Amino acid sequence: MTSKLKRLLGAVGVVAMAGALLGGGALGADEPDQDNLRPPQTLPQGFESTDQLQRDLEKAENAPLYSAWLVESSRFVDVAPGSFMPDRAFIPGSTDPRHNIPFFDFPANVGVIKGKDGNITLYDSGWKQLEYIFDWNTSCCWWGLREQMTNIGLDPDKVTRIVIGHGHWDHAGQLDSFPNAILYVQKEELKQIDFFLDYPIEFNQGHIRAVNTVDPLTGLQVGPPQQACARTPVCGYPPQTVAEIEGKVLTGKAKIVDGRFQVAPGLVIHPAFRGHSYGSQLLQVHTPRGELVFGSDAYSSWEGIRDWNVANVQQTDTIQQFLAYEKCYVLTSNSFSFNNCLAAHERLSYSTDYPITQNWWTITDGNCSRAAELILANGEPTHVPANVTTGTTRITVPTLGGRTGPWRIDPVVCKNTISAVPPHTISP
Amino acid sequence: MGRKGAASLEESHEAGNALGVGKLLYLRWSPRLKRAGLAATVLALMGIVAFGVIREAGMTGREPAPAISRPAVAPHRPAWTRAEEAYIQALWPIHGDVERTTVRLSLGKIFYKINDLGKADLKVRVDAALATYRRAESRITALQPPPSLARAHDDYLAAVRLFEQSAVEVLKMFDDGDDEHLLAAYPVSQEGTDKIREIGAKFWVDEFPPN
Repeated sequence: MTSKLKRLLGAVGVVAMAGALLGGGALGADEPDQDNLRPPQTLPQGFESTDQLQRDLEKAENAPLYSAWLVESSRFVDVAPGSFMPDRAFIPGSTDPRHNIPFFDFPANVGVIKGKDGNITLYDSGWKQLEYIFDWNTSCCWWGLREQMTNIGLDPDKVTRIVIGHGHWDHAGQLDSFPNAILYVQKEELKQIDFFLDYPIEFNQGHIRAVNTVDPLTGLQVGPPQQACARTPVCGYPPQTVAEIEGKVLTGKAKIVDGRFQVAPGLVIHPAFRGHSYGSQLLQVHTPRGELVFGSDAYSSWEGIRDWNVANVQQTDTIQQFLAYEKCYVLTSNSFSFNNCLAAHERLSYSTDYPITQNWWTITDGNCSRAAELILANGEPTHVPANVTTGTTRITVPTLGGRTGPWRIDPVVCKNTISAVPPHTISP
Repeated sequence: MGRKGAASLEESHEAGNALGVGKLLYLRWSPRLKRAGLAATVLALMGIVAFGVIREAGMTGREPAPAISRPAVAPHRPAWTRAEEAYIQALWPIHGDVERTTVRLSLGKIFYKINDLGKADLKVRVDAALATYRRAESRITALQPPPSLARAHDDYLAAVRLFEQSAVEVLKMFDDGDDEHLLAAYPVSQEGTDKIREIGAKFWVDEFPPN
């Protein structure tokens, strides 16, 4: 019996020692060495631990407060849900609300953030490609961001900063409409464009390349040198858009950041690398409703954040997108959770179904584009029209004649019958 | 799971004891029982296969997830004529070269300004860009546009010449050491990028799809 007991104790001792030796790495996960927490696919400068995010949340408690609005720069029309959110693909005959919508429309949203000093920070700068919209009738409701701001009672000359969530043309357009604003863009965003411009085509018959993979006339995949952009990694960065970023840098109006960066107290950039593009970034904004987190296309869909579905994934690492979602959950953990995450292309925007945008209206003379007041601070008066539920406004563009309609006009009616094509130049 | 789940686990545990689970483990399977079990297994497997086949068949009716969001609305623009199509196809590879070169040069200037690219490396990019633009100018000049596209042809050629002019301006900084040439060159190349985007959006609508 004694020898049995000794053998048992000996065995327990050996197991305990082995556990201590082998389990060291696992124990290290609770140590402050952040590298042990970083997923191997995540760049060091793109990583933030939950502890670090929570510290930003705590620090924000003493930060100044901001007011915030959402403005619809333009609207994608009749998009097949499955191409945007694979989990929401349309299935003919299905009665499942996740699969019974054949096409939907969604906005390209811009965040407008106003501080106590009256200065304004934009999160994204909207869409500029009018030819794309109007010659092919694939979108509606575009209007210039400066005019939109003016028409909702915000001074565009007060824009001192523009944080772009990423550099794609539908989010980083109109930069030169705000010549005095400082641009904040991630170095990683620019580096990846440069890398893929020279991606060796012999690896893949040219399927991964900067511009030119699909023959634009026949739709056929063609080899070099006729390479098209399609969904390759740097698709989305026309020379025009990169040139506008260049203009900001050359005029000393750009800050190229590398990972987390505090823009000002209460305004913190968080990296979301590969959450959409390689150098995607979020913006945490301190408000009376807690932290708002703007996500551009890393947060393409608010429903996606809520339901943990990926969205707009063609150039996205899905795990990194979920890690970006998680950042919002952490930063909003003491307030409204995912309800404070601001998505760029949420189809439910400007409705009570996306609660933070429920205070919305159609922008006067804004070509059917919409705005939502998210939260007010520092005694800022409301910009929502007093008679928003019952009154009317001019909805169309002034150059093409006004038309009267309710502040909360049915968006389907608006896009089909009222939205107009602003003048633009090219006709081959 | 919560309390309800825990309670039901306990209940089933007790029920198991009441049935004498320990004894059941030692029951011997009769040949008849074995045959019945085998038949049930085969049936179950056939059911799984059938389910899979039906499900796959149903999936064919599913909307495919295209790489690009395709609008349901038909485009306004009328189809190109054969001559127009030939011209646009001929311009396409030149356009690709011009675009890649222009983005590479823009990024070179950005990286130079943020001390991420040396002056010599920037000069390599500018020299290469100028060579590409000059080659593009020759290639475009050699094209014969149909009358309907003559204006776009001229516009594209003008854009390439703006890029050349801008690159020549940038090269001056390597002679006199004055970075101000970058600023002077910028509006010229920016105008070029505006022009090729306008024409590109007309000729190749899917070139930069929604992101």
